Amino acid sequence: MAVPSASVLIEAVAAFLSEIETELTGRAAFHAKVAGNVLAVVVRELDQQPERAEAAAFARLLGPGATAADVCERLRDGRLTVATPGLLDALLAATTARLAVDNPRYSTLRRLRDTTP
Amino acid sequence: MIDTAALAALLSRTRGEPVAVDSVTALSGGASSATYAVAARVGGSDWPLIFQGAAAALEPGQLSKATQAELQRIAARHGLPVAAVVAVTAPGDGLGDGFVMARIAGEALAPRWLKGAAFAGARAALTTHCATALARLHAVPLGEFARLPLAGGTPREQCARLNAAYRSYCVDLPAFDLAFGWVAERLGDHAPTALVHGDFRSGNLIIDEHGLAAVLDWELAHLGDPAEDLGWLCVNAWRFGQWQLPVGGFGERDALYDAYAAAGGAPVDRGMAQVWEVYGTLRWGMACLQLVHDHLSGRVRSVERAAIGRRITEVEADLLYLLTHGSI
Repeated sequence: MAVPSASVLIEAVAAFLSEIETELTGRAAFHAKVAGNVLAVVVRELDQQPERAEAAAFARLLGPGATAADVCERLRDGRLTVATPGLLDALLAATTARLAVDNPRYSTLRRLRDTTP
Repeated sequence: MIDTAALAALLSRTRGEPVAVDSVTALSGGASSATYAVAARVGGSDWPLIFQGAAAALEPGQLSKATQAELQRIAARHGLPVAAVVAVTAPGDGLGDGFVMARIAGEALAPRWLKGAAFAGARAALTTHCATALARLHAVPLGEFARLPLAGGTPREQCARLNAAYRSYCVDLPAFDLAFGWVAERLGDHAPTALVHGDFRSGNLIIDEHGLAAVLDWELAHLGDPAEDLGWLCVNAWRFGQWQLPVGGFGERDALYDAYAAAGGAPVDRGMAQVWEVYGTLRWGMACLQLVHDHLSGRVRSVERAAIGRRITEVEADLLYLLTHGSI
């Protein structure tokens, strides 16, 4: 047996929230449900570390260490456009990695995965 | 809370006979307005009403409730299904800026009427009903709105204002910047030709078993390009999971455009309709940014507002899908 990891602790809190949700009504019940969803996001983020996929995608586009801010700066001044080779692929890779954490059931995630080579 | 005696006095004055107000129940509260169900009685009969009041002082560019009431009256005169305006508050009434309207029977919660079997017939008729309502609204001569303080500007100016709002949050979302550039290149520089409802979507309709019973929430109305309303209705966020049906989660684009033209609306340019859908998706993204900013700035701290910050990823995905596939 190991001491509980951060993910295990969060899952325990999420289980507690869903237990007490049945005793709550109205706004409190709704917020308990939202809070449970938020904890699920945090667990997925710890497991999947989407920032790695995002950094790799931006690095392929602009070089090592590139950030979202670098990409935005170049989109705003016109150095990058929708026609720039690799731009859409990089943004799709970064966004699908984060969407798999933020809302894996979102229809557009499935549609993007079905249509992206 | 609403002063029921003040409300009864306003209603009695309007009717010219005594009106009793038995109860006032808060229904929902947004950042800018608060809605109440009013149980009134007149001459021994129940009179179900809605009171909508301003929740806070007007911000620049925001429509007063009195202006919204006037818009609803104009819309009703032109054959749109809207709740009849019963009374508008005056400064001495002690009710703030607000108005009273008829309470329309039906379902306002989109997830219920989008999925409920009882609404299957309503859903089948709804694309035509929405197209007809929008065509009638967009045909109202602009002169009818001349004395109302409505925002306007060309589509490109509107987009520039939205972009300025985005930049004011100091966030770096590449899909947003990419989409803003794409939209700005394609939107025109023409003067407004119509009143745009500005928030015509599944969450702002009352649906009964026959279809569209009332168009709600006129607070984002402005002068502009009618295609904006058609695009907004097709934004993925308003489909409440019924994503295969692009028109609000209940209909197909071709049927919407055909019914719109059949009801007297201008023929829809498919390419421009898509541009307005991308613009609408950015607008929804801006609403998410505003809501999460409420939490981060401490204006309204809540787990719900914080969680909306992660819905921004959905908007980025929708934008990328739109830009790579043309439509979503």
